[in-house]
Amino acid sequence: MSETVTNLWSIALLVIIPLLTAILVNFLFNKKRLIRCVSVASAVALLAITLISTYGYYWFTGVPAVDTSTFTFTFGAGTSAWRLALEYYFGPLQQILIAVLALVLVLVVLVASPNLTKNQGAYMAMIFLTFMSAAIIIMVNDFYHLWIGVELGSLVVAGIVVASGDGVSHRAALKYTFFSALSGAGLAVSLALILGLTGFSNISDSITFLHSHDLGGMATVLYVAFGFFALSWIYAGGLVPVHPLKSDVYGASFPHGTVMLQAQSKLSLVAMGIVMLRLFGTLPFTREVMIAVSVLTMMFGVVMALLQTDFRWILAYLIVSHSGLVTIGISLGTTEGLTGGLFQAVNDIIYMSVLLIAVEAVIYFGRGTSTKTAIGIAKKAPWLTAAVVLGAMAASGIPLFNGFQSEIILIRAALLVNLPEIAAVILLVSVTTFIAIFRGIYTLFFKPADPIVSEEGSAAVPKESPIPRWIYVALGILIAIALVIGVYPNIVLQFVTPIAELVSIPWYL
Amino acid sequence: MIEISLQLLAFIAAAALVIIGLAGLLLMDNLIKKIIAFTLLSDGVNLLLVAVGYVQGGVAAILEPGDSVTEFVNNAVLVFPVGIVLTNIVIGVSTTAILVALVIMLYRRHGTLKASKVLKEEKR
Repeated sequence: MSETVTNLWSIALLVIIPLLTAILVNFLFNKKRLIRCVSVASAVALLAITLISTYGYYWFTGVPAVDTSTFTFTFGAGTSAWRLALEYYFGPLQQILIAVLALVLVLVVLVASPNLTKNQGAYMAMIFLTFMSAAIIIMVNDFYHLWIGVELGSLVVAGIVVASGDGVSHRAALKYTFFSALSGAGLAVSLALILGLTGFSNISDSITFLHSHDLGGMATVLYVAFGFFALSWIYAGGLVPVHPLKSDVYGASFPHGTVMLQAQSKLSLVAMGIVMLRLFGTLPFTREVMIAVSVLTMMFGVVMALLQTDFRWILAYLIVSHSGLVTIGISLGTTEGLTGGLFQAVNDIIYMSVLLIAVEAVIYFGRGTSTKTAIGIAKKAPWLTAAVVLGAMAASGIPLFNGFQSEIILIRAALLVNLPEIAAVILLVSVTTFIAIFRGIYTLFFKPADPIVSEEGSAAVPKESPIPRWIYVALGILIAIALVIGVYPNIVLQFVTPIAELVSIPWYL
Repeated sequence: MIEISLQLLAFIAAAALVIIGLAGLLLMDNLIKKIIAFTLLSDGVNLLLVAVGYVQGGVAAILEPGDSVTEFVNNAVLVFPVGIVLTNIVIGVSTTAILVALVIMLYRRHGTLKASKVLKEEKR
């Protein structure tokens, strides 16, 4: 698809439509049928816009760039152009990531039971605002919108967790919101420092300035800015050391809500990681810090997942661990590493969505998701069992599935820069993911069901509800995509490779 | 005699507010006091941003048709801090509202505002 330099209204729609939908469904309050219709229509429209939109820019106020050598308006994106307006950029990477997010949104809207929350309108509004914040973060090319996207994302995450119900959710939301205050303030300070150094609020302009000017004694300020930016990146993705906060949030939400949260989190990690690499990538220790955080996140995540006794919490920690897989590729900063990291982000969203939607289905059996209680689902719901096994295989990086393709690129990227230790950690994550997930699957699905004993000691019947057919449809679609990408990885690689080649930095060790 | 500029004073005040806010947020056990500390931290960041964007004798960053672009580039104040401070105030209010609502819910459940008690009673 060709790139255009005109002001593309279709890009702005990716932010405006979810915002308007959120306002509308909020007003509809509890008219569940109408809310569902509006939500599905809006989500499908977002997916369609993402797929058909041309690549290019959107300038707020319609003002293009000013050429700093001639002081005339220009539509070019050259290095001497000073962009006055706030701008979004929509390219191949944005297209594939937002398309996956929009697909996930469609499925979440279809799967979300209208009976889960007291105020369906407000809950659905939060889901759409999550999409909006992620779309902003991935498309934005100015610090102002980046910061707004991150802040908005933190607030809606808290909203989704609160709407999921009990005391555990409230505590998780409170802790998350307190830390979001710290992280948001840190990001604002970081951006203010970069602004003070460069004078530009546009990300591309700032990067051009930093690469073409000697900062001299002010270079220390850039280190401080990196520190605050890294803090916000760590927080947005739930990396070590704030991984317990994010896993609490994932575990305390409805599983379909977690589908959106983990997708938003991956997009934030990718977008902020790329900005961080472009801004600070040439500073000494930048990539070392990013790699260290990524490796620790992978390891802490899988170890914590092994210790959990609830399938939801196993997945919560695995999502955190696999965030490390995404960031390790970005942290390496090479073409191969970035390709693997970005590809992993797409794959991770897909296979984790399969597993989370399967957990949503398990809840309908009325016996919770604890791995201490055998439910014997395999006999009652063989298709669901097949779906969860296939999802687990994709997450474990087994050949023929999408997870394998991205993990093999990441391993190759680590070996190319003479870091076999990282390749070993990636393999360890794969194996441990397999053990952690299949331990849960065995108890919940394959083990003969434990008898239910009532408080009086007599046998009782669980309150089972039929699994909605949309859950099967969603699982089928996602598994088909996972398999297709696993067999034909170029379907995704053609979107992520150009950006990887563009922003990559040669390895210097 | 050391001349202290308005900008430097603002930086010092901002640093003081951030440090006090951060200390309160991390060290206070009372959830309401933590929220107050958060607002101080947020105000400190706002003040820092205002100080960064301050240009003595600057003009508003609004480019009208017919204006000289050269003059605009040389004299316009930075728009980013103004925008981010206004937005930060709105986001700060929203965050405070969410925090207060959550604290009320947790107080009703636990009967205390002590973070050490409320946040540690997690069993799963």
